[in-house]
Amino acid sequence: MTTGFVPPSNRGLEGGDPPDIAEFRAALRAWLDAHHDELAPTYAAPGTLDEHVAQMQRVKSLLFDAGWMRYGWPERVGGLGGSPMLRTELGATMAGRDLIDPGMYSLVEVLAPTLIDFASPELAADVVPRLLSGAEMWCQGFSEPGSGSDLASLACRATPDGAPATAASWIINGQKVWTSLAQYSERCVLLTRTGTPESRHRGITTFFVDMDTPGISVVPLEMINGVREFAEVFFDDVEVPAERMLGELHGGWGVAMSILPYERSSCFWQRIAYLYQRLQRLVEVVPEDDRTAEVVGNAYLQLHALRARSRATQHRLADGATLGAETSIDKVLVASAEHATYDAARRLLPGVVATDDGIVGEIWRAEYLYSRAATIYGGTAEVQRNIIARRLLDLGEEG
Amino acid sequence: MEAADRALLSSTVDAAVANAAAPGAAPVSVDDALDDLGWREMLAAEPRDAIEIVFRALGAHNATATALDDVLASTLGHEPGPDVAVVLPPFGSSAPPGHIDGDRMHAAGLATRRASTADRLLVVSADGSSLQIASVVASNAAISDVAVSTIGGIDPAGQWCSVRVDASTDIPALATSPLDGATWESAIAAGRRALAHQTVGAARGMLDLARAHAIDRVQFGRPVAGFQAVRHRLADALVAIEALEACLDAAWDEMGSETAALAKAVAGKTGGTVATHCQQVLAGVGFTTDHPFHRFLKRTMMLDGLLGSADEIVLQLGRALLADRTVPTLLEL
Repeated sequence: MTTGFVPPSNRGLEGGDPPDIAEFRAALRAWLDAHHDELAPTYAAPGTLDEHVAQMQRVKSLLFDAGWMRYGWPERVGGLGGSPMLRTELGATMAGRDLIDPGMYSLVEVLAPTLIDFASPELAADVVPRLLSGAEMWCQGFSEPGSGSDLASLACRATPDGAPATAASWIINGQKVWTSLAQYSERCVLLTRTGTPESRHRGITTFFVDMDTPGISVVPLEMINGVREFAEVFFDDVEVPAERMLGELHGGWGVAMSILPYERSSCFWQRIAYLYQRLQRLVEVVPEDDRTAEVVGNAYLQLHALRARSRATQHRLADGATLGAETSIDKVLVASAEHATYDAARRLLPGVVATDDGIVGEIWRAEYLYSRAATIYGGTAEVQRNIIARRLLDLGEEG
Repeated sequence: MEAADRALLSSTVDAAVANAAAPGAAPVSVDDALDDLGWREMLAAEPRDAIEIVFRALGAHNATATALDDVLASTLGHEPGPDVAVVLPPFGSSAPPGHIDGDRMHAAGLATRRASTADRLLVVSADGSSLQIASVVASNAAISDVAVSTIGGIDPAGQWCSVRVDASTDIPALATSPLDGATWESAIAAGRRALAHQTVGAARGMLDLARAHAIDRVQFGRPVAGFQAVRHRLADALVAIEALEACLDAAWDEMGSETAALAKAVAGKTGGTVATHCQQVLAGVGFTTDHPFHRFLKRTMMLDGLLGSADEIVLQLGRALLADRTVPTLLEL
């Protein structure tokens, strides 16, 4: 506390240097404790997806108004500056307290930087504060029915209305799938095909699309746990102004890849906090015997190893390193640890997950089923191992 | 230590240990090589760098050495030296090897090969709820029951010893004094970090062997490294090693018995995971004593059992989590 960091709500938002992370953490925890009742979910557990989304936006709004949500973001988009680790810490603290779902919150962590890095300064200054403050929700239009692991094969087409260099607008036709929270979103960061069908990663362009543009239809899909969190999104002659292009024409692959360092650092740190919280919830109710101790101990060991690895990754990013293929190791560890945490829950609470129709059973069952996606989304476990083998172990090409 | 100094020291130590541990070298030569490098002075001045660099090199070259005695003796508050050995807990355990029963001390545990030649054996014993440390003068005729024997077991090249002590606590040659529980915990933690670094070296050694084999070995007209099933095994081995390295960095940055215990448990599991994958990739050749793999496999099995196996640490950890009903997050940004 040597620099006299005062929680922003108590000092006005414009003065003072950004705090270091230890000061920030201590002040944030104190503030969250003091505002517990305001921040706590207003619905009865487990709540609906509508309620979860509303909760996240409400929490973001309260934290934005109090200044917390602005640390670690640049001042030109309404931030208060400071190390990006501050926003990583904020998200993790909220996830660890069950105030937000880290999966939903990750859209902030990955899409705000995309706008900051690739949109015009005016556009970024206009829209990023809306995302941070909970006024808007954004989604990420990447995967397609024919393009999952092989994202560079995507086919959703953007055609210029005129010559590509001078077109005032682009017309988009095609389909996206697994688009999380599309039905709640005001905007979409969308990957489109602008080169030939064979151009792969060299012919992709990113657009920032308003979801209320005529021609967009959203069809939510029911996940294995009964929640309709992701959706199919159809684009039928959707007209997007040229100034909504993010980055260069045919530069969309670089935009998509720029998300990776955030997805693999801050988002993982927040998911880790959530998983610790779930293990905490488990140890509060399981019996005290050696079989249980072994299961719980092994899950904790995996979480610790993951946290140690992720901590090193956060520090490397903060020190200016360019994150790359080595984050596939983080991804394998986070997926394995998520499985291990919920496998422990299922083993130690077998009747709860399988047959309990009460609230407790409903929550563990939904989360257990959702955890199975950990080795699939964000690059499958197999794709990660392929990257590790090729890039980190230098085993040459497959086959 | 500056990064450049550290890199230089690391390559110097690695080369010296590799040379001394090469097949045909005299069995004492790794310890001699470490003495020549000033290992105990390094340990006193820069413990983190010294332990990390030396133990990683010991693991990488399957070296038989007794540096663990120096780590433990110095943490237990004794001047380390080539004639001071420490009695380790029995295989798998981290409990003190001895206990005091009235005026008798009984101890049974493991030791490095230094125990067979040392003048003094440091023996930690439970005395009710407190601890005692004895500095046993091994050659003293007044203590008739100090038995040190070299064990073969799974890792005969390691020249590990079994130690039994049965003595009266009254005799001056035993030099027993109270030991703070926290000091014992620190010694276990220091030893665990060292052994985990040794496991990193051994695990990387196994992965290097398996990777080289996968690239060289041709079947069905192509290197087996081209097969996804082989690639994924090697990828999983690397994931385990990198996680262990991260746990070790964390164990030094946030020093304490918890982070050291976790690093040692992860080391035990990593040794097993890496050995399993690499042995499968090495296939037939890894099943022979002509190939160096078997020495890594056997050494890592032994290392897991020293100062608490992964299974033992996980069980204790789980019991503590259930007793407290609290899941601590030990590492912060």
